[in-house]
Amino acid sequence: MSELVRLEKVSRRFAQPAGLTRRLAVAAGLSQPPSVVRAVSDVDLTIRAGEALGLVGESGCGKSTLGRIIAGILPPSEGRAMLDGARVMGEGRRPVKTTTRVQMIFQDPFASLDPRWKIGAAISEGPIAHGLVAPSEARAFVVGWLQAVGLPPDVADRYPHQFSGGQRQRVAIARALAMKPDVLVCDEPVASLDVSIQAQIINLFLTLRRELDLTLLFISHDLGVVRHVCDRIAIMYLGRIVEMGPTQVVMSAPLHPYARALLDSIPRLALEGDEAAFRPIAGELPSPLAPPPGCHFHVRCRRAAESCIRQSPLLTPRGPSRSVACHFPIEE
Amino acid sequence: MSPLLEARGLTTVFETRAGLLPAVRDVSFTVAAGEIVGLVGESGSGKSVTGFSLLGLIDPPGRIAAGSVRLDGEELIGLEQGRLRALRGRSIAMVFQDPSTTLNPLLTIGAQMRLALEAHGGRDASAMRARAIETLSQVGIADPAARLGAYPHQFSGGMRQRVAIAIALLNRPKLIVCDEPTTALDVSIQAQILSEMRDLARNIGTAMIWISHDLAVVSSIASRILVMYAGRVLETGPTRDVLSAPRHPYTQGLLDSLPAHATPGTALRQIPGSTPSLVDIGPGCAFAPRCARASEACASDPAESVAGNRRWRCHHPIAAVA
Repeated sequence: MSELVRLEKVSRRFAQPAGLTRRLAVAAGLSQPPSVVRAVSDVDLTIRAGEALGLVGESGCGKSTLGRIIAGILPPSEGRAMLDGARVMGEGRRPVKTTTRVQMIFQDPFASLDPRWKIGAAISEGPIAHGLVAPSEARAFVVGWLQAVGLPPDVADRYPHQFSGGQRQRVAIARALAMKPDVLVCDEPVASLDVSIQAQIINLFLTLRRELDLTLLFISHDLGVVRHVCDRIAIMYLGRIVEMGPTQVVMSAPLHPYARALLDSIPRLALEGDEAAFRPIAGELPSPLAPPPGCHFHVRCRRAAESCIRQSPLLTPRGPSRSVACHFPIEE
Repeated sequence: MSPLLEARGLTTVFETRAGLLPAVRDVSFTVAAGEIVGLVGESGSGKSVTGFSLLGLIDPPGRIAAGSVRLDGEELIGLEQGRLRALRGRSIAMVFQDPSTTLNPLLTIGAQMRLALEAHGGRDASAMRARAIETLSQVGIADPAARLGAYPHQFSGGMRQRVAIAIALLNRPKLIVCDEPTTALDVSIQAQILSEMRDLARNIGTAMIWISHDLAVVSSIASRILVMYAGRVLETGPTRDVLSAPRHPYTQGLLDSLPAHATPGTALRQIPGSTPSLVDIGPGCAFAPRCARASEACASDPAESVAGNRRWRCHHPIAAVA
């Protein structure tokens, strides 16, 4: 499989916008510069064509920011995001997205559709603007995509408020797919849906992925969903990828102590005879404004030693398909 | 021994422009002292409204149309407001999904805890302070004496939820209704709170009703489970028995929908369709339109079947596993 998405040393910082007075005060030494969050730091990542990569972690770990950088919604502060050898966004002070080949689906299907637009118009807007379909053929085009996501044709003439969460998420999927992307970035696409509806949407993703040969970046905090959908998994902690590898292998025998702790903390369905269905991680998630030095996880880690405070471990290959960023990884 | 809480035929309706919406229909269950009972269902199943109804927290256009809720032998339905207010917080308390709506952003948590104690007769300032510190440390807040002077925004989401739980514990209620208290939290924080709540129930004997959409969470904390759908309890019994060998096709459908038990990459066994609108709910089984086992018999309301400590409402239940 050829490589389709490539991130090279990608970082993203967010700072409070400083007004003129504040900037002058900082320049005169009267005030501190606004605090900066490194939401993503030094991430190297590749996604092969046709692969489904799961990106997991707790809130504030930078998984959504990374997804937005790959989708061309946010420019990286440093490094490059590439799709098929070309930058996803241009360069300069105000970079814009230069490709339609990557599209994104968001968690909240209620927020991602304009309430005053009919579904048909919402789906055909992008493809018409980019010349993927002639305005005269838009109707048939929209109906085709509605069918692909399991919705009847008359949906095109209705408004978003007339649909349930699951149906709206289908519309959002149809709208992203109508741009004929190669890569689909899905940010918690089933998190706001009920269990029975979740299964329907997961099945839809599995079918569409196979039929359209899609490459997926699947961002989720739900490891059960990721295990089901993704070939490979990347686990993030405070802006860094700490472990990456084939989903089954990583989930059954993680190398990074954080990956182990995260997996252990998720309650499993306890059936007859099961005991201790989950084990909490000690301590709290540190503030991303002031992450601990060295390995960000060392303050909560039982394996931590002095070197973990001094030096932050790099993501290093372990075997042909796995990599881990830890000075003292768990041995198999 | 009579149960701590006994709900019988609880029915809560909302008057809407579209008609009368029966959110909770004929719900009966008991909670013993110190027991954790899980209440699971999808959105619109009536699980939260059931919780609110127990505390009399139903405002117009909603009302409790029928049924009885007895706490320690005292009937709560129809109780006058003053008496109900005296019971709320003291005998029965509630923890909500979003702690930031529970806490007043303008008061320190110490002040809020003092108000909660004063509302139930607390007078001695130093005793109230000591009780506040005690409950904060029970929910795992480090250095509680110093934290009393902090405002809610100075706590993280997980810590805020711990403060909300500590406030619920202040007056030593016999029962706490927990409405999705860990849903908005990260998994690592959820696990901490789950294990703390389990210890609390064990150590101080507080009973809990744990409302959640997450079967795995409920299975890890509740000894008994109630599965709700369209305002009805469809199945109830010991949690592990129900989840290992469900009798109701809906419970089975929920379990099959979970990716955890499927082979990765294969299609999940999904429940077709979506939850029904409660406004025009018919007299029959509400799950029948989505049920593979449904027949003509399902047009009539299934009566409750009982076997040992298991109960279910279904004309075509799944056979018991020997």
